[in-house]
Amino acid sequence: MIDRLCDQAREGGLAVAWLYCDYNFQQEQTVTNIIGAILKRLVRGEIPEGIREAFQEGRRPPLEDLMRMLKTAVATLPRVFICIDALDECLPKDLPKLLELLRDIVQVSPRSRIFLTGRSHVVGTIQKQFIKTVVIPITPKEDDIKDYVAMRLDRDDMPEAMDDSLRAEIMGSILEKMSNVCVSASPLSKMYTH
Amino acid sequence: MAQTTHTQSITFGNNNANCSTTIGSYNTTTTTIYNSDEDAKIMGWLSPLESDNRHHSLRTDRFGGVGDWLSGTSEFREWNGGEGGADQAVLFCSGDPGVGKTHLRLVARFS
Repeated sequence: MIDRLCDQAREGGLAVAWLYCDYNFQQEQTVTNIIGAILKRLVRGEIPEGIREAFQEGRRPPLEDLMRMLKTAVATLPRVFICIDALDECLPKDLPKLLELLRDIVQVSPRSRIFLTGRSHVVGTIQKQFIKTVVIPITPKEDDIKDYVAMRLDRDDMPEAMDDSLRAEIMGSILEKMSNVCVSASPLSKMYTH
Repeated sequence: MAQTTHTQSITFGNNNANCSTTIGSYNTTTTTIYNSDEDAKIMGWLSPLESDNRHHSLRTDRFGGVGDWLSGTSEFREWNGGEGGADQAVLFCSGDPGVGKTHLRLVARFS
């Protein structure tokens, strides 16, 4: 997703910013730092003079300043795509504020788009700001699982111990176990390696 | 006066003619170079969070066409079309951890 957007951003016509949230870094993932990360991604090619001047003044920019800079940047850019992965791993208390600010950003450029992923429980919070949020449930598709298992088998560090029949057995066994459960890629790899 | 060159580990997708089938490719590495020492410092000053490092590690662990179906859905097209304005600005892919949300691949062109 990000790569696709980046390819197009380089061709022109859109700008893209992204962030991966992580439960382990909640303390650093403040609203201020997230907004700052979006801003720096959008201006990195050509830093606006206003930001340069603020930097030279020295103090860390408060959220209000970052938002002002971000809105100014968004207004000058073509269509902006903001992607935030694992939104549910932000601090829950920060989420309403973050979404409110994302809403403010989109108001500046209404064709801009925000791509979010996360567990389903945050959907209500998102819809408070974006009433027509498009929700797409993601479940592992059998073909995706097959491709993933095949990729892992190809990378096996003991290829001499592998043959077609073992390969087929591993694939069949994993698909059977996966058939009615949503399991992550990491358990998949553990099932094979252990 | 010589300027210091600052680099960050960032990789972008393979922007070749065959890109609709090679979004997950990580053969091409483009290095982002800041123009000056000051530019690099400004980036750190704006936020300590770095999206590039995580993205890089995801790319090197990527495979196949996860999520090819997504861009074919009417929901995706409507969202991407942008006609719904700010109210419809968000596409939310929901699911439990590990179902592949982070690895979604798109073959769509963003309009």
